[in-house]
Amino acid sequence: MLQNNELLKIEDLSIAFGGLKAVDQLSFTIHEKEIFGLIGPNGAGKTTVFNCITQFYKPNHGNLYFKNIKDEVINLVDLKVHQVIRQGIVRTFQNVELIRELSIIDNVLIGAHIDYKTGLISQALRLPKAVKEEAIYREKAEGILKKLGIYERRDMLVFGQPYGILKKVELARTFMSDPKLIILDEPAAGLNDVETLQLAQTIRQIRDEFNCSVLLVEHDMRLVMDVCDTICAINFGKFLAIGNAKDIQKNPLVQEAYLGKEDDDE
Amino acid sequence: MKNLKQAFKPWMGFVLFGLLLATIPLLAQYTSLIKSSTIITIGGTLIFAIAALGLNILLGYSGLISLGTAGFMGLAAYLSAYLTVDLSLPFELSLLIAVLIPTILGVLVGLISLKIEGMYLAIATLAVSEILRKTFEEFEFITNGFSGKTARFPLLLGTFQLDRASTYYLIVIVLVIAMLLTYNMMNGQVGRAFNAMRGSESAASAMGVYSLKYRLIAFALATILASLAGVMYVHFIRFAYPSTWNLKLSLDFLAMIVIGGLRSIYGTVLGAFIVFAIPDLFLKQIPFFNQLSYVLNGVLIIVVIMFYPNGLINIGYDLKKIWLKIRKGVQDVTK
Repeated sequence: MLQNNELLKIEDLSIAFGGLKAVDQLSFTIHEKEIFGLIGPNGAGKTTVFNCITQFYKPNHGNLYFKNIKDEVINLVDLKVHQVIRQGIVRTFQNVELIRELSIIDNVLIGAHIDYKTGLISQALRLPKAVKEEAIYREKAEGILKKLGIYERRDMLVFGQPYGILKKVELARTFMSDPKLIILDEPAAGLNDVETLQLAQTIRQIRDEFNCSVLLVEHDMRLVMDVCDTICAINFGKFLAIGNAKDIQKNPLVQEAYLGKEDDDE
Repeated sequence: MKNLKQAFKPWMGFVLFGLLLATIPLLAQYTSLIKSSTIITIGGTLIFAIAALGLNILLGYSGLISLGTAGFMGLAAYLSAYLTVDLSLPFELSLLIAVLIPTILGVLVGLISLKIEGMYLAIATLAVSEILRKTFEEFEFITNGFSGKTARFPLLLGTFQLDRASTYYLIVIVLVIAMLLTYNMMNGQVGRAFNAMRGSESAASAMGVYSLKYRLIAFALATILASLAGVMYVHFIRFAYPSTWNLKLSLDFLAMIVIGGLRSIYGTVLGAFIVFAIPDLFLKQIPFFNQLSYVLNGVLIIVVIMFYPNGLINIGYDLKKIWLKIRKGVQDVTK
């Protein structure tokens, strides 16, 4: 079902909320080690596509083929939300979803949840293997925080941290599971210009260092055009165009969706 | 000094705390500082602290409310009394059964929690607790109904007959172990999963936390601790009446963890002392406050929620901050 370097193939994806077709027969393919952007005007159904991939919504129709960590091709539709991360897909949220009462490093460690092998009892008794396991992941989390430049804040509570830091913590959390595909929901929302520039660098760095693909939904066009290898534009849940930044900018359908159509009657 | 701080592991804190609690019967025996009746009050308080610790796992860490703690505690108490007195089973075996049966029931309630949340879960658990209380009244062949069920001090391993003081030590040991294990669990992967579930259900499931599993674990842990407390209660107080396991007791558990501190292990014990021991030991001596301990708890909850949402356990830390501020102010003035 998947060609050589294809990672995620979306086929005929459709979902309707009542009478509204939020996503309508959408198909596109993400390749390995690709930074893929999904764009569209407000209400185009971008986040809905995300939620379908991560199984927060169950699509009415369509297939989501994904080459998982074990290089098996699976259909994501068959999975429950909490099983998706085990296949190698991990996401961030539009409105940062962190646990405010925990320290930054503990929040990052939640990303390693599925990797823990020891059970409740060995953790409760602090058996050597549980202690060792905890130490391994703590070290990994510290390494990631160092890379993102927020290592010094590791023991601070998430509550009260600036927004830019919170976004980084959420990113750090996704890296803990060694994903094949990271899905970023509006990573630049609420960031200032400098932070957005840094983010573009970080996204490329993610791809190169963690050897994974990145799928992002974003409103900040500069970021999308700057960082994405391939861009897919949608409107009203329907496919408009796919291509690199230049193709998309030139595409008349995309221009129409964003800027409106010239009226021929006048 | 820094090395000393690093060498001091959390478990040592719990053990020290236990040793501190263990001195109380000695003080009663060898000095006149503490009356021997005080041991009953403090022992009872520690028992309630064990159950409250379970509720803290459930409400504090996992964000799931339960007003059924009293019912589960009562069920374990009656079971243990029935098994040791009527069926003459050894204490250890009856403890196991008396913890197991309520835990199965608690896990079933956990299943309900998948479908209903917040206020509705509170009502559902309250209903379970009330059903249990009614059962205690009606099933006279086990519970002896309104006349109350009597039990004996524990007989350990079939040979060591404990008395009041040694049962108190047993309670301290159980409490310290419960605190220690809770601390370990809540500061590891499972605790983080609970926190994630409370903080953001969607983030938790995106990170692979299976809600069903962790909700059931949370309910199981809470019921295990409540049942342990029930068993300790019936073998320490040696009586159980149906009226003990009412809504007020469940609400008292809630009060303990809110006043003491949600997600705080020492806070839970502090809360138990504030809610149970202080009214019993001090306020009851003052005629006017005799009937008012109820009211006091209510007022205390309101005050704590308004001004101290993190619980009174943080008061030491805050006082230190104020003290440092004052000292700095004084230094500035003298300069």
